[in-house]
Amino acid sequence: MVGVADEMEVDRLEQELESGHGDVTEYLGLVRKLKLRRSANVLKHGVALLNNPSAKSKLGTDVWTIYEQVAVAALDSDDLRVAEECVKALLIKFPDSARVARLEGMWMEAKGQWKEASAIYDSVIQEIPFDSQLHKRKVAIFKAQGKLSEAAETLIKYLDTFMADHEAWRELANIYISQQMYKQAAFCFEELLLAQPGNALYHLGYAEVLYTIGGVENLRTAKKYYASTIELSGGKNLRALYGVCLCGLALSQTKLRTKEEKDNTNLQSLAAAVILKEYKDKAPNKADLVSSVLEKQKS
Amino acid sequence: MRGDMVAGALGLLVLAHAVYSTIRYRGSLKLMEEEFVRAPPQVLLELLVSLGLCFWAALRVPGSFLPILLDAQENRVRQLSDDLDFMIFNHRGKLFAPKFEVKFRA
Repeated sequence: MVGVADEMEVDRLEQELESGHGDVTEYLGLVRKLKLRRSANVLKHGVALLNNPSAKSKLGTDVWTIYEQVAVAALDSDDLRVAEECVKALLIKFPDSARVARLEGMWMEAKGQWKEASAIYDSVIQEIPFDSQLHKRKVAIFKAQGKLSEAAETLIKYLDTFMADHEAWRELANIYISQQMYKQAAFCFEELLLAQPGNALYHLGYAEVLYTIGGVENLRTAKKYYASTIELSGGKNLRALYGVCLCGLALSQTKLRTKEEKDNTNLQSLAAAVILKEYKDKAPNKADLVSSVLEKQKS
Repeated sequence: MRGDMVAGALGLLVLAHAVYSTIRYRGSLKLMEEEFVRAPPQVLLELLVSLGLCFWAALRVPGSFLPILLDAQENRVRQLSDDLDFMIFNHRGKLFAPKFEVKFRA
């Protein structure tokens, strides 16, 4: 999860680095902690840090973590040469480490050598069967080749063992959504909601999956989860506000409405008012467009 | 900040004085061969004052309060972390390589 304060901190550090006087170690640490994918920046500043002998010697043993981070960033930016140097340095330092073996496998993946990568992961898994990250890499291999149903199968097997891994549940939900298997995706989001009931974005995801499935019952539930997203995000999440409006519109077109729903369109009009206010504050030139869209939804 | 620290130090001093006067009071009771019932009102007053001062310092010195509500402006979740464990490398980034050269110096 990345909160507002975290996001501001990352942006501040990035700006400082751009102007040339930022703390690279702090930035890299924060990116690691928040699990952000800012590969280009990590690569650029990380390599500069590793090229600077005096800064490097100050890091002590942390330098190997940074080698690993830079290697992954280099793979993500398709800079295989830098990645190779990092992996080689790590292999010399830790020849028997499972973590470095995983990195080597990722390097194979980046080159498209799926079988070799898979072989590396398999051989390490035999020694350390409960290394969750290696299992996840095997899912990623299928995903990278576009074999989504195999990826889903592997991931389900993984989740049988590591049920509390909510990132894996989120990944499974994403895979199901891209295969248009919305009911299964909804199940994954239910698991996520149980794991982190305070996370507004999981409420939003669940609501969106239910809205996509459609049907009166699902729309009603979706509206409730959109509403809870609004509550948890302090009314700042525009997607949830639009969602409430759209659910209200879809429900008003069905005939199976309860009397309460017919009379009570308060939530919808309140959400519409907030959307309009946000647009007037932040993008005044689009406010007219938004108000006409919202007006159409009412009628 | 400095004023708060001084208030805390003053609170501790008052507390120490209260301790000292209680010990002296008990000493004098022993001399007069009377039972100890409770501390004198002056000591109780000192305790209250020191409690107040120490509270003030403890709440003010470590810094301001952080929001704990989920929907507070600072705590709001803006984005989920990118799931790096499942990251794949054959994406469009291959076609749009970063616009800078990086090189390791051996």
